Amino acid sequence: MKEKLTREQILHVADLARIKLTEEEIEKYQVQLKKLLEDVEKINEVKGYDDDILIACWDENTHLRKDEEGQMLEPKEVLENAPRHAGNYIEVPVVIAESEGA
Amino acid sequence: MKYLDKSINELHELLKTKKIKPIDLVEEAFENIEKNKELNAYITLNKEEAIKEAKALENLEVDNILFGLPIALKDNIITKGLRTTCASHILENFVPIYDATITEKIKQKHMIIIGKTNMDEFAMGSSSRTSYFGAPRNPWNKDKICGGSSGGSAATIAARDLLFAIGSDTGGSIRQPASYTGIVGMKPTYGRVSRYGLVAFASSLDQMGPMTKNVYENAILLNAIVGKDEKDLTSAEKEKEDFTRLIGKEVKGMKIAVPNFLMGDITSDEIKKKIKETIQILEKNGVTVDYVDVKYLEHAMTMYQIIAMGEASSNLARYDGIRYGLKIEDVKNIEELYLETRGQGFGEEVKRRIMVGSYLLSGENAKVYYDKALSIRDDMRKEFKKVFEDYDLIIGPTTVSTAYDLDDPMDDPRKSFMDDVLVIPVNMAGLPGMNIPVGFDKNHMPIGMQIIGNSFEEAKMYQLGSFIEKELNLDLTPGGEK
Repeated sequence: MKEKLTREQILHVADLARIKLTEEEIEKYQVQLKKLLEDVEKINEVKGYDDDILIACWDENTHLRKDEEGQMLEPKEVLENAPRHAGNYIEVPVVIAESEGA
Repeated sequence: MKYLDKSINELHELLKTKKIKPIDLVEEAFENIEKNKELNAYITLNKEEAIKEAKALENLEVDNILFGLPIALKDNIITKGLRTTCASHILENFVPIYDATITEKIKQKHMIIIGKTNMDEFAMGSSSRTSYFGAPRNPWNKDKICGGSSGGSAATIAARDLLFAIGSDTGGSIRQPASYTGIVGMKPTYGRVSRYGLVAFASSLDQMGPMTKNVYENAILLNAIVGKDEKDLTSAEKEKEDFTRLIGKEVKGMKIAVPNFLMGDITSDEIKKKIKETIQILEKNGVTVDYVDVKYLEHAMTMYQIIAMGEASSNLARYDGIRYGLKIEDVKNIEELYLETRGQGFGEEVKRRIMVGSYLLSGENAKVYYDKALSIRDDMRKEFKKVFEDYDLIIGPTTVSTAYDLDDPMDDPRKSFMDDVLVIPVNMAGLPGMNIPVGFDKNHMPIGMQIIGNSFEEAKMYQLGSFIEKELNLDLTPGGEK
């Protein structure tokens, strides 16, 4: 088995995770991610379990809360943590560029 | 002035009879924190606000046992108007605009929030060294780690800065640092404490709990933070109970199981010896202790890696640099904003886990890894439940080693999982787990024992924990009596 993942494999998972990596990071993660992926592969060695799954551990009957109007946050406060805002709106950079649209 | 060395009952009496005021305790806590500054236990102090609150309390009646007492919160618990960073660059300037449910409960008791404690970035790590703000240090030896991820909360309690701290535990992050620093740390049953306002890491595992000097004070704080919350669907509706009610009751006749896995080759001999000595004390006092096999425990770490990294990758997708978080200049489009914000904002361990998690949940992989882990997890929980048909509690070591050096290498991505190999199964099964100190290694670093209970049986764990605490009567103040 190879000691590290390929550069392309790292760029693929970084793309899935929407993370830009530096060259130095790409090299480091080629080795480190390989080790972690080897670890999780061990799940296939486990035998004898039944098909039931456990998503989270609570035995309670759950119910959704009533759909009632509650306390709301103030728009002004909400905007304070946004890196960019204008008026009552949060600003975002271009989502679809004109040249790509036409 | 040395009030914070006193027990909670003494402090309560002094406050009630107006011999001291909350401000005396708040000032003393800040003096202690200043004196222990090099521990780096805090990311943000709440000095101005805490003093204001303490003064305001002077006009109120002392209406409960926690009234006027200082408390520290881990920095992944949101606090209105008080910076909450998760020890990450990406949230370095984040100021929450509402309180977590646990924060509200603490405020309702008129406790005073002193500050936000240091931790591993987004609670991912086992030594608190992934903090963007530098690692906290162990009060027993400042060149050693204090564990993680709730390392700052553990350090400030161990150093006797104050009586109460809250930590969070996704895969051992309360119990393991409690073990490394010689304090009591409880991870309650999944659902006991509302997670509303705890910054999510792995939602099916996360739980908050008290970190204190002793068992009794731990139970008192748990009393204050539990309960059903409409804002957290997974919080449990339970009858109100007093978690101190079994403390002091005799343990004779109790049946206790010790999983062989916990006492296996991975655990150091020194720690095993200390656990065995404690077991002998229990046996002498009429407790039955049996060694048992619990299936799947050896696979818990693999299951945890898949579930925790998978859920983390999904939970941390929210950090997009739009609604809050790091401000990145000069980006051409939204895609670049995501990539740059996350690339520059997250640290090495967090990126690693998000990337592996994204891979594990992508396409067919979700079936190959995630679904399988959930399936084995169900079987492991059933195995635990079988043990509890015959036994009251489970005990064993909390960690495989004592605290190691701060400058030990950090390049092995497995290390942070290996450190937690004995504490992870509890989270996977949703059970309550608690660390209590049981002694020291040859370098006088604390050794901890883990007590695991059946779901919602924390009171019984406190019963056993306080018995052992009383029998051992250890001096748990670093550097001897103050």
